[in-house]
Amino acid sequence: MLESLLSGSRKLSLWLTWLGGILIVLSAFLVTLEVVLRKLFNVSLGGADEISGYAFGVATAFALSFALFERAHIRVDALMGTIPRALHPLLNLFGLVLLVGFAMVVVTMVWSMVGDTIQHGSRSITPMRVPLAIPQIPWLIGWALFVAVGTLMGLVAVKRMIAGDQAGVQELIGVKSIDEQIEDESV
Amino acid sequence: MLLKTLLILLALIGLAVPIAAALGWLGLILQWTDSPMPLHRAISDMAWQTSTDFLLVAIPMFVMLGEILLRAGITEKMYDGIVKWLGWLPGGLMHSNIGSSALFAATSGSSVATAATIGTVAIPQIKKRGYNEPLFLGTIAAGGTLGILIPPSINLILYGLLTNTSVPELYLAGFIPGFLLAALFIVTVVIACVMRPDWGGERLRYSWAERLRALPALIPPLGIFLVVVGSIYAGIATPTEAASLGVVAAMALAAFNGKLSIDMMRQAIEGTMRTTAMIMLIIIAAVFLNFVLSIIGLTQALTDFVTGLGWSPMGTMLMIVLVLVIIGCFMETLSMLLTMAPLVTPIVVALGFDPVWFGILMMVLLETALITPPIGINLYVVQGLRKTGVMTDVMKGALPFVLTMFVMLALLLAFPNLALWLPSLFY
Repeated sequence: MLESLLSGSRKLSLWLTWLGGILIVLSAFLVTLEVVLRKLFNVSLGGADEISGYAFGVATAFALSFALFERAHIRVDALMGTIPRALHPLLNLFGLVLLVGFAMVVVTMVWSMVGDTIQHGSRSITPMRVPLAIPQIPWLIGWALFVAVGTLMGLVAVKRMIAGDQAGVQELIGVKSIDEQIEDESV
Repeated sequence: MLLKTLLILLALIGLAVPIAAALGWLGLILQWTDSPMPLHRAISDMAWQTSTDFLLVAIPMFVMLGEILLRAGITEKMYDGIVKWLGWLPGGLMHSNIGSSALFAATSGSSVATAATIGTVAIPQIKKRGYNEPLFLGTIAAGGTLGILIPPSINLILYGLLTNTSVPELYLAGFIPGFLLAALFIVTVVIACVMRPDWGGERLRYSWAERLRALPALIPPLGIFLVVVGSIYAGIATPTEAASLGVVAAMALAAFNGKLSIDMMRQAIEGTMRTTAMIMLIIIAAVFLNFVLSIIGLTQALTDFVTGLGWSPMGTMLMIVLVLVIIGCFMETLSMLLTMAPLVTPIVVALGFDPVWFGILMMVLLETALITPPIGINLYVVQGLRKTGVMTDVMKGALPFVLTMFVMLALLLAFPNLALWLPSLFY
């Protein structure tokens, strides 16, 4: 049950990451168009910076849980060698709990901010007067998903720990080995 | 308060807590113990402002630019092209390692990607051409660090954000020191190989005709570098706009080489978003922590403490450099930049130093951190690539370049204009 939820949310995270990435690529074209028009024809689309800012915020929030699955969140493991190996799974879990806990604080605060935005119908203080709920709702969803996925990963990790599946814990929430990092960064 | 902060930070980082969580919780803990106000209520606004800051849109753009270039099929040709131009120097291919790294890192900005990419092409040549293995590996590890300083660098953007320093000005300031450091690396190899000719491997000689034929292979990376950096320097574009131009140019280049495909873009996007999400989470936590630190007066207390010691500005600066070198031995660069820049820069400015100049000094310190044992990621990447031999070889080979970086630091301390002259022409 937990495991299938996990693989389902992994897929969802990946889809959202692609969607966010497409927003970034589109922003690159939009901003390029803006620069070219401004320089060559002295015309401004106006708002390319604002729109790409929202795209960036939403895309980043959408990718938070993917980065968690990929174990991309940087940890300094310099001292881990001095701690007995048997404790490493607990240390990994501790790191995850603090990460998700911090995100929970953010989500709680963001939740009430977005609530205010919707209630007051707030708009951006720019010529475009964008209703802020449009970018803020998907942004909040990305953060909330991050917390949900992190909690789920923690539960699965505890389950694997109880089952004595050390490798399974490492693969889920361990610090990435250098070989895995090279694998990520090369073609 | 200073000691408590330091101890909490060290404990969290030492327990391998993700950096974003370590910074965020430090902020939360300090607000509970030292602030009468619920500062965490400001997190939502800070997170939103930071998440949508147009300056920071440059981060995914630059990462994506590098991810696309990595897959655009230009690395091997570029490496071969640079061999033709630099291979005659004593040390042969080692200069190409440095030159290609400088060029690749300048456009991609990731030191791990640079060391991994150049290393894959270069390492098989060690045995084939009889090079001194440690020194050769050292050139790859050290070459990969150059991207931090040579514009466009994401690290300079982050420094600019956290210290309220102008990013275009930082980019101008990084230009001369960045290429000077690459040149110093080349001089280091030449000196080593003149002293020990058996280290230098096979000398490679090429005719001018061959060199000219190799030029087209260098045009794509140089072209993209010129589009990105040139448009900033010429005042046509902001860093974010320049990065967007770079992404579009890189996609065009990949299409020209027949490498642009849905699958390739999917991989580039995954790499980009993984890195961006990781960086942004740390930035949001760092911005919140800085807010707490300044509200509770810790930043000021630290500055007062250091200036109150009554040391000369230069003496204090040397001490700061020493401390940062030591921290760099144990800390990964991004975490080091985001924790140290906001704490140390106010001290430096209070002592009368220029924040732009200090940003460049900080970048050289970050580069040092990448190749100083025990925690120097580039050392591990190079060792991971070759899969045989011992780690000590790479550390030994990187040592001359660590010393070269110290020379660079000394030059910057003695001649601040190395960094400040170029911006002074524009601002």
